[in-house]
Amino acid sequence: MSKRKSWINWTLFLLTAVVVFLVAILGSLIIERKTQAQFAYKPSVVINELEPRNEVWGKNYPRQYQSYIQTADTTFRSKYNGNTMIDMLSEDPRLVVLWAGYGFSKDYNQGRGHYYAIDDIYNTLRTGAPFDPTEGPMPSTCWTCKSPDVPRLMNEIGIKEFYSGKWAGKGEEIHNAIGCADCHNPESMALQISRPALLEAFERQGKNIEEVSHQEMRSLVCAQCHVEYYFNKDIYEGVSYLTLPWDGGLAVEDMEKYYDEMQFSDWTHTLSRAPMLKAQHPGYEVYLTGVHADRNVSCADCHMPYRSEGGQKFTDHKIQSPLNNVHNSCQICHREEYSDLLEDVFDRQDKIIQNRDKLEELLVRAHVEAKLAWDLGASEKQMENILQDIRHAQWRWDYAAASHGGSFHSPVEISRVISTGIVIVQEGRIKLTRVLSDLGYIDTVPYPDIVTKAKAQKFIGLDADKLNKEKIEFLKIIVPQWKQKAEEREAGWEVISYQ
Amino acid sequence: MGVLNLLKPPDNWRSPVSLILGILFGLAVYILIVSNSLSYLSDNPKTCINCHIMKPQLATWQHSSHRETAVCNDCHVPHDNIINKYFFKAKDGLRHATIFTLKREPQVIFIKEDGKSVVQDNCIRCHSRENEVVNTRIEYADWVSNNGKLCWECHNEVPHGSVNSLSAVSYFLEDNSNIAPNWIKRKLIKQ
Repeated sequence: MSKRKSWINWTLFLLTAVVVFLVAILGSLIIERKTQAQFAYKPSVVINELEPRNEVWGKNYPRQYQSYIQTADTTFRSKYNGNTMIDMLSEDPRLVVLWAGYGFSKDYNQGRGHYYAIDDIYNTLRTGAPFDPTEGPMPSTCWTCKSPDVPRLMNEIGIKEFYSGKWAGKGEEIHNAIGCADCHNPESMALQISRPALLEAFERQGKNIEEVSHQEMRSLVCAQCHVEYYFNKDIYEGVSYLTLPWDGGLAVEDMEKYYDEMQFSDWTHTLSRAPMLKAQHPGYEVYLTGVHADRNVSCADCHMPYRSEGGQKFTDHKIQSPLNNVHNSCQICHREEYSDLLEDVFDRQDKIIQNRDKLEELLVRAHVEAKLAWDLGASEKQMENILQDIRHAQWRWDYAAASHGGSFHSPVEISRVISTGIVIVQEGRIKLTRVLSDLGYIDTVPYPDIVTKAKAQKFIGLDADKLNKEKIEFLKIIVPQWKQKAEEREAGWEVISYQ
Repeated sequence: MGVLNLLKPPDNWRSPVSLILGILFGLAVYILIVSNSLSYLSDNPKTCINCHIMKPQLATWQHSSHRETAVCNDCHVPHDNIINKYFFKAKDGLRHATIFTLKREPQVIFIKEDGKSVVQDNCIRCHSRENEVVNTRIEYADWVSNNGKLCWECHNEVPHGSVNSLSAVSYFLEDNSNIAPNWIKRKLIKQ
C-alpha cells in the first residue's frame, strides 16, 4: 500500500483541500446572509442643508444613490416612450406645424432619465446659443426643475431674483442634475417640497400642504415639476414667475378657463395667428383622475417601488417607466402574467393614440386653413371665434399628448379630453369654411407636404441648420466655462466625515 | 475493492489525512448548525423565515384565519404519504436555499406550477365538503385543462393578502413582546 505513487496521494490531498475550502465559503455565505438584515445604515458624512451634490448624499445612502445613478440607463424603449432619446419631431413632423412660432418646433425629444437633466437642457435647441448672460430666447425660470442647485440658489438670492433674467445668466450656478435635495430633508430624509410653485398653488387654493399624508407626499414631490405650469409676467415687472394654473381646479376645462380669464397665451401661432396655449406636462393632474389615484396608489409605488436587499427595505431610486420593471411594480398587486399586463397597457395606448392622431391632423388643417383665410383678407372679427376654437382644441390635444403616460394613468379622462378637442376643432373648421366661402374660396384647402421634420420646418420657415451650428459653438465654448466655474465653487465646500 | 484501496491513505499519510477529514467533518457539522438544518425536519412555521425572504408570507399568515388550524407545511407540502412529503420538501427547500445563497431571489415571488398542484390538493384535503352548492373538488389537472378554477383565484387574499413583494408587510413581524418594558414588569405587584 505504501508503495503507491506519490502523485495519487497529492491529488487526494489537494482535492480534499478544495472541498474544505468550498465548504468554508458556503459557511461564510450563510453567516453573511443571516446577519446582513441586522445592519442598518451608518451615516459617514454630514449632509448640510441644501447640499446640491448628489454624490455627497450617496455616501450615506449607497443603495438609494446607486439606483438613482441608474437613471443614466438609456436602453429601454417601450412601445411609445421609454428612456431612450427619441426625436419626436422626426417621429411626427405634424408637431412642427402645431408649434409654429414656438420653441418646441425647433427641437423636441422624448426625455431621458433625471441623470441627464442638465445635459439635455444644454443640448436642446430651445435654449438657443446665448454667448452672453443677458442673451438668449429663454428666461432663467427654465432651470427651475433641473437641479438641486435651484433651492440652494433661491435661498441665497431670493425666489423673485431666481426667476429674473435670462437662462444663460445662471448657467454657472446650476450644475447638479435632479437629485436628492429636490425631494428630501437632509437631516431626517423625510420627503419635502423644495419648489415654491406647488406651495403657492396650494396656498391660493386654501389647502394646507402640511396636512397631507406620507402617501400623498410620495406623489406631491413629483408634482413639484410633473404638472402644468406657465410663466406669469404680471406678478413682477419683467419676471417670468413660475405658476401653476390650479386656482379654479385641475381639470382641463378649469385650467383653460383660468388662462382665458387672464387672457394668457404662451405664443401667437405664425400660421393661424391664434393665441396659443402650450400644455407642459400635466402628469400629476391626469394621474389624479385615474383609478390608481382613486385606490391611493402613489407615483412612487409604481415608478420607484420598494425593494428588499439582504432583508433591508429601501426605495428603488431608478425612477423609470414601470413597463421596464413590471415584475417589481405591477405584479406586486396584479398577479397576472407579465405579457397580459403589458397587453393591457398597450391596448389603452393604441386605442387612445388613434384619436389623438386624428385630432393632430385636424389641427394642422385648421392652422393651414386659417392662414389661407388671413391671406385672402379675412377680418379680425371674422377670425376671432375660430382662433379661440383652435386655441382650445390644441390645448386639449397638448394636455393629452404632453402628459406622458396619460393614456395609462387615466384612459377614460384622456379619451374624453381628446374627443372634446375633436369636436371643438371641427366646430372651428365649419366656421372657417363659411369665412373662406365668404371670401370666395370654396375648394378643399390642400394638406401641406410635411412628411419629414425638415420639410415641416421649411414649411413654417424655420432655419434649423443655423440653430444647430450656433448650438455646437455654444456647447464647445460656453458650457465648459459654466462647468469649470461650478466645479471651482463646489471644490470650496468641505465635506465633513463622521469618524 | 480497488477503488476503496485507492482512497485508503498509505500508512505514512494517516495522520494528515485524519486531520483533514476531521476538519471537513467539523465544517460539515458547523454548516448544519449555522443553517439551522435540523429545523427543516419540523413543521414549525418559523423555519420558513430562517432566511428573511418568506417574512411577508409568515406575517400575512399570522394575521389570517388559517393560523388557527394550518401551518405552512399543511398547505405547501404534499400529504399523500410521508416519502412524498419529505421528497417534495427537500426538493423545494434545496432550490430555495440555493437561490437565497446565490442572492438570486426575485422581488416579487410567484408560486411555481408544482407548488400550485400541492396547495390545491391540500385545499381539498380539508375543505372537501364545504357546502352542497359549491364544488370544492376541482383538482389541479382540471384547472390545467381549463375545467374550473383554483380555489385562490376567487379567494385571492387567502391567506397571504393582496400585496406581494419582499418588502410588502414584513414589518408586522416585529417583536411585540417588549411592549411593557422590563422595569415596569419588575415593579408590578404580583396579583
